[in-house]
Amino acid sequence: MPPSLPQFSAARARSYIFRLPLFTRCIIFVIVLFWLVSLQSAWDVQQWGALIPKEIGLATMYRTNTFPLVHAGFFHAFMNILALTPLLERFEAEYGTLTTLALFLGPLSTIPALLYTFAERAIGLNTTVLGASIWVFTLIAMEAVKTYRTNPNFVIGTTQIPTWITPIVMVLFVSFLIPHTSFLGHCCGLAFGYGWGLGYLKFLAPPEWILRWIEGKLNLLGRLPHYVSVDQKTYGRYGVLPTTNAPANPDIALRFTDQGQRPSTVLLRRNPFILKLPPYLSFLCIVIGVAWLLVLPLDNYSRRTYISENALLPGQVHTYFAGSDQNVFRGYKHEVDALEERSNIEVNDKLEEFFKASGLKVARQSYEYKSAGETYTGENIYAILHAPRGDATEAIVLVGAWRNMEGKLNRSGVALILTLARYFKRWSLWSKDIIFLVTADSKAGPQAWVDAYHDTHQSNKVESLPLKSGALQGAVVIDYPFDHRFQDIHIVYDGINGQLPNLDLLNTVVSISGHMGIGTSLQKMWQHSDSYRDRLQTMLRGMLNQGLGHASGPHSSFIPYHVDAITLQPFGEGWQDEMAMGRVIESTFRSLNNLLEHLHQSFFFYLLMQADRFVSIGTYLPSAMLVAVNFTIMAIFLWVKSGSPIDKSSKKGSLAVGKAGSLKALVPEEVISVRERELFLPLAVVAGSQFLGVLPLYIFNHTPQAMLSPIFTAFTSVNAFFPLIFSALLTHYFAPTAHHYTLIKTFSLLLLGLFLSSLATLNFSLAFLVGLLSAPLTYMQPLPNHPIIKGVLALLLSALSPTTVLVAGCWWWELGIGAVLKEAAFGWDVWGMTTQVVVWCVWWPAWLVGMVLLFGNPREEKVDGDVGKGKKIKT
Amino acid sequence: MMSIDRRKATLFGAAAAVRLLLFTSFPGLPDLLTARVEISTPVTSFKRLQEGLFLYNHNVSPYDGGVYHQAPLLLPLFSLLPSSATYPAFTYLLYVLLDLLSASALMSIAESGEAVSSKLFTSPRKDKRWSSFAIAAAFLFNPFTIATCIGRPTSVFTTCAILHAIAKAVNGNSFTAMFALSFAAYLSMYPILLFPPLALLCYDRRKPLKNPESMYSFVTGNAIAVGGSLYSLLHMSSLITGSWEFLSSTYGVQLLLPDLTPNVGLWWYFFIEMFDSFRNFFLGVFWIHLSAYVAGLTIRLRRQPLFVLTLLLGIFAIFKPYPSISDTSLFLAMLPLYRHVFPLMRYTFLASSTVLYATLLGPAFYYLWIYAGSGNANFFYAITLVWSLGLSLLTSDALFAVLRDELEVERPDLKGKEIRQI
Repeated sequence: MPPSLPQFSAARARSYIFRLPLFTRCIIFVIVLFWLVSLQSAWDVQQWGALIPKEIGLATMYRTNTFPLVHAGFFHAFMNILALTPLLERFEAEYGTLTTLALFLGPLSTIPALLYTFAERAIGLNTTVLGASIWVFTLIAMEAVKTYRTNPNFVIGTTQIPTWITPIVMVLFVSFLIPHTSFLGHCCGLAFGYGWGLGYLKFLAPPEWILRWIEGKLNLLGRLPHYVSVDQKTYGRYGVLPTTNAPANPDIALRFTDQGQRPSTVLLRRNPFILKLPPYLSFLCIVIGVAWLLVLPLDNYSRRTYISENALLPGQVHTYFAGSDQNVFRGYKHEVDALEERSNIEVNDKLEEFFKASGLKVARQSYEYKSAGETYTGENIYAILHAPRGDATEAIVLVGAWRNMEGKLNRSGVALILTLARYFKRWSLWSKDIIFLVTADSKAGPQAWVDAYHDTHQSNKVESLPLKSGALQGAVVIDYPFDHRFQDIHIVYDGINGQLPNLDLLNTVVSISGHMGIGTSLQKMWQHSDSYRDRLQTMLRGMLNQGLGHASGPHSSFIPYHVDAITLQPFGEGWQDEMAMGRVIESTFRSLNNLLEHLHQSFFFYLLMQADRFVSIGTYLPSAMLVAVNFTIMAIFLWVKSGSPIDKSSKKGSLAVGKAGSLKALVPEEVISVRERELFLPLAVVAGSQFLGVLPLYIFNHTPQAMLSPIFTAFTSVNAFFPLIFSALLTHYFAPTAHHYTLIKTFSLLLLGLFLSSLATLNFSLAFLVGLLSAPLTYMQPLPNHPIIKGVLALLLSALSPTTVLVAGCWWWELGIGAVLKEAAFGWDVWGMTTQVVVWCVWWPAWLVGMVLLFGNPREEKVDGDVGKGKKIKT
Repeated sequence: MMSIDRRKATLFGAAAAVRLLLFTSFPGLPDLLTARVEISTPVTSFKRLQEGLFLYNHNVSPYDGGVYHQAPLLLPLFSLLPSSATYPAFTYLLYVLLDLLSASALMSIAESGEAVSSKLFTSPRKDKRWSSFAIAAAFLFNPFTIATCIGRPTSVFTTCAILHAIAKAVNGNSFTAMFALSFAAYLSMYPILLFPPLALLCYDRRKPLKNPESMYSFVTGNAIAVGGSLYSLLHMSSLITGSWEFLSSTYGVQLLLPDLTPNVGLWWYFFIEMFDSFRNFFLGVFWIHLSAYVAGLTIRLRRQPLFVLTLLLGIFAIFKPYPSISDTSLFLAMLPLYRHVFPLMRYTFLASSTVLYATLLGPAFYYLWIYAGSGNANFFYAITLVWSLGLSLLTSDALFAVLRDELEVERPDLKGKEIRQI
């Protein structure tokens, strides 16, 4: 049995200290004493005792004996005592107290000291040395020579390194690492030690017969406690350091682990209870994930909103937009109504006239997008109000689309923008430029304008902007398509791909409208009773919008450029008139005008339950992460499971578990052996289905609009049978075993977990929705002998396939499949929407693999391990 | 023999086709990848090369302006090619060709069987190895390699030179190997650290002579060869640029790290946070740390110098000043040579999952930091830590497996038993 590492034990340390021999004790005592004496200032002990080469003469020869006993300070003394004690104890135990006394008060301190003095004088230096470290190195050198006799080399790789080098290395290390150490002094100590160890200096030791005589005469052994006799010396007392007598035995580096000391990982891997746990654990993850989301609307888990950015000061200014401006507004509205049936160019001609009349610079931009076989053209017009108190480095945008998302004429909205442009121009307090933008439509126009503003447009289709201002700090869109009075304002805030504007912008508008007595609502919740149910509904609608990642208004195009933007839509029948709306905008712009830097204080990731209640990312993220983690847990579990050895016979399975403890003890090698996994086929299947996902992605993004519906129908029907065919082909040509199926599932789930947890940081809602819809995939496995269960599960999975979910969604919201797909293609081409990628390249492949697993028919496995076709990749 | 050639041709054709397809069908992709910090570093970026090239072609020192930090000899090479802005196809072909050259060097390393049976050590598992064909395929179709090729950093040249140095070394052409190594060192500096194991590899694989020279004189000869070729390369560079100032703009940048553009490594964030007074000290510490592995591993794994090279490439991919996924792809190219010790590795799943997670989360967090503005630098740095953790797990696990393999030769009685180092 190889020796184990010495372990510290207080009892052993205590007994060691109590058994220290006499001379060692004395030396420690003297060193401590000198340190205590040196604490006073009357007598400079260090100056008295130190070895100063220039001062060594006959009268001061005492220094060569005293310098090892005097130290420079507490730490110096302490460290030296710590290093010296064990070495000196070994020396004394070997040679006896008398010899040690003679040597250490004589040649062992004098000779190195003289050596040092001569060397120092020869070089012409005068460095003072102090302390017992010189003895430490002498003793270490002696030990090293002793070690060298028994154990000449230690081996690193193939290179043999002689053991006598160790003290030299230590001297070097000490001189590098510890400041103010005397390299030369230590070397002198080493030289003496080597000389002693090699036997050249043995003559310095007093002859043994004299010592025996003294010892006998004085009866030292009887009188002195802890005295080590000359006779005792030959045997030593309690062995030696491991280096001196350990034979060249490679066992030192290795330790067998028998059943008592098996590493915990192996125990965990073989623990039958833990092996059964993961499926339940991952189910628990899903349940907790969903429950987590459901408790968020409660008062204890959501927070009230607050303004983080102090500069905003919402609602602190008096608004002046009223009175005669109402007449201006009526005039403009009349003009807008007259333009309703005119072409885009004619409208812009007229608008240009109005903006110029207000004294603003005007520019126009035409654009053309092609998507799903359709062309979207139009011309944007915008006017810039240069800030009287600014330097045109920052700007805020007021947007009104000529036609809103539903295609209705934004009659009051555009009229309000014209009025506000005229009104804002009169004020001298703006420190940021204000851009008034009227886009031709609500979908393509804003995108074309923002792209061109940031020079990321495709220049042949979208014109560059002739006129620009500074960095955009925020954008507010007015969507006011009717001309009667309204009740409340509906705020739309979702950006493309689920990005959101800074919460402060939303809070500002909510707070301002609150001051003016106008209510606010979100996510088309026209009534909100502040009940749990309404909050949950608002949140879920928000999640759905975020998950779909489409543009919910003209503001959405701004958000990917890190421009915080919202759309304000008045709604309902009430007593607020368009001037109230104008004052809300005015006040909001006054707040944005106050900003010293980009909105950054508040949250970018949040879920809103109502206009003044939200949860932040820290609170809600765990739910999506838990859903994603469920896949990862299963993947890890299946990987571990796939590595367990094949049961020699399935009947013995339960028996083996019962006896596991004794079996392990009997055949340890089987316990740690990991079955070699055949990875090629599983990897190919998973990678193949991932690549297949590109196919629907490409098809649905590049089909003309008229063909979208028929192609979707065809795809859905193919999709219903494809897994069956795929599975049949797989079984026919490659005959995968249950082992292969396990690994296929491992990789598929690993990838799904991977994608979803990454996605959760970008678009929480999408990750959560996809995770939830693919949760059953965790539990799919080949069921060749249970046709009924297989049928039921297949139906369930088909009901949760991406195509079915799409159809169901369209039916529920009464939308046409063609229209949805057209919108998706438009989003892909114009907005840079990436929801499709997630659906077809993350969700659909995972679903496909799940179906293939379900229809799988594992081949009977051979026990000898000669399985699998193709290349074997084993890990 | 014929069939092997045909398979090789098919493989290379397929690899070239995939790359050219990506180049041509996604015209925006090369520029997108060139701008990615995971691929282009200040010392390898293709964009910066274009800048240097522009200055060079207009008779201005390419190092004026402090953007270009790459070796001067790349400039005449690229100025011979038609401009990549107007005729990008030539540049694409050059990079595809470099990948194929690297793959062919890798194949010759694999065919030599040095990985399983070196002069001083033969693994008991030597029959379990992949064909050179599979190893080349794993390199050519590794997404990291493909992404690197499309992103066109000049580290591709270094990769090619290193693989050729190793390939020549296992074939016993020590002089050519040393020339290739000095070319790699000339381009990127850090490959000079590969000299000790590479010289030993050359020594082990040299052609048997009548009176074999001693190892010391052999290594000295090789060192002189490296020094000579390095000197001539540097001298040529000074002739091209007209002065020696390129030394501080190329190697000086690697040594002193003035450009703290984020990358997948561990240095940039650390030196952003550093107080200036400690900068020099920690530069020293980081460089000593990087080079400290060389001596230890070379001595400990004296019997398998090729594995030392593999391991060092892995370590450099983690700890060098400006690492990119190109370095990782080089390490992952060499690792399959040790397929025979894969069964002894313990954390393959963990390490590869970690690397995969980091691969996806890295760009996501970088996006949140730089574009969306909703994250900050710590997001990306956290992921680079995870990435480095995954790679270090992989390297240390490979080291464990090889040591275990050696142990089972020394002590057959320990085979299959759980051991623990104490």
